[in-house]
Amino acid sequence: MNKGLVKISPCFEDVMPQEYKELVEKGSYGQDYGVADLGSFKELIEEHPLCAGCGLALSMRLILASLPNPESTIIVGSTGCSALAFSQVALHNIHSLFGNQNAVATGLKRALKLRFPDEIKDVVVIAGDGATADIGLDMVMQSWFRRENITTIMLDNEAYANTGGQESGMTAEKAVLNMAPKGKNFPKVNLADVAQVAGCAYVATCNPAKSRVLEKAVKRAILAAREIGPTYVQIYAPCPTNYKLKPDEVLATVKNREKEGTYPTGEFISAKAQELFESLEGGSK
Amino acid sequence: MYVSAKVATEKCIGCKICLSTCPEPNVFVYIKEEKKVQINEGRCKGCGLCVTVCPKQALSIGS
Ligand SMILES: Cc1ncc(C[n+]2csc(CCOP(=O)(O)OP(=O)(O)O)c2C)c(N)n1
Ligand code: SF4
Ligand code: SF4
Ligand code: SF4
Ligand SMILES: [Mg+2]
Repeated sequence: MNKGLVKISPCFEDVMPQEYKELVEKGSYGQDYGVADLGSFKELIEEHPLCAGCGLALSMRLILASLPNPESTIIVGSTGCSALAFSQVALHNIHSLFGNQNAVATGLKRALKLRFPDEIKDVVVIAGDGATADIGLDMVMQSWFRRENITTIMLDNEAYANTGGQESGMTAEKAVLNMAPKGKNFPKVNLADVAQVAGCAYVATCNPAKSRVLEKAVKRAILAAREIGPTYVQIYAPCPTNYKLKPDEVLATVKNREKEGTYPTGEFISAKAQELFESLEGGSK
Repeated sequence: MYVSAKVATEKCIGCKICLSTCPEPNVFVYIKEEKKVQINEGRCKGCGLCVTVCPKQALSIGS
């Protein structure tokens, strides 16, 4: 989104909604804001209908605050809980048919490269675990094999949350859900390792309890996708509603899983990405 | 009954930890001059996540 596009035309100031005015006056387009600045600028996401305490909602908030160039970012989403929030996000975004998100992002990125060869256009896929690891896996993998310059972010709540709690490939073995009453009978898919061998230049697993680690992963993934090739960020974002957690237990759940080693955070950085980060971050971060 | 997070301003040290743990946007406002946070109660869903991370027990859920 060009910064000029969000400006209010003269004499329309009075009729624009307050939230819009705040976005123009104190929004993050063209600014160098990050997670540390939350509370001091108008966020890209507005009031959304996701449940109280939703780990996915918190992760989206953090992702949106971490975008290196929000005004030049196009989000491709998919069906699922996150899609309900995207209509409240002040970025260009495309809601693709469930599972098709990486195919849509691939085409979009290629077209943008042709149309705007000298401009930054970050195409970022943000979708659920069902959309990424199950139904859209074919398209996700093809975009990696073909070394497309896109970032894929999975909001992993270990379930098909939006449809009432079916197991996904990302659900942990033995986990019981509303519509998986006998417990899942095969292990959690290790998509981070798959991403690495499938050609991703940068891969990270993280969670919203460590907001600065999440921020760094999102920034690095987008910058590496811009310059090198596909990147993948997997965010553990528990769903209190389907996992029957109290709304205030999401962060403790994330921390526990990390502690017991069942959901570690980590990074894979290819040699090319390492070189890029060194030049961009000056070895400081 | 509407519930919302409340901040005991005298206890708040402005560490900003709550700001990055709330799933709702634009609830917490950081007041730079006072180094404290304010809560936009109408936007809070009362989940209590912020209460679990505040190192000074400055936050609580009330109505
Ligand atoms: C082609 C197609 N198949 C199935 C559905 C039904 N459906 C809607 S949301 C959803 C689950 C999404 O799960 P996930 O991607 O993990 O997102 P979450 O809701 O958990 O965030 C499904 C199966 C659909 N909308 N379209
Ligand atoms: S069902 Fe789960 S993932 Fe979906 S909005 Fe509610 S808490 Fe979030
Ligand atoms: S976490 Fe507690 S002490 Fe820190 S800014 Fe928030 S309310 Fe204040
Ligand atoms: S109770 Fe939940 S919604 Fe309300 S301010 Fe705290 S974290 Fe945000
Ligand atoms: Mg899911």
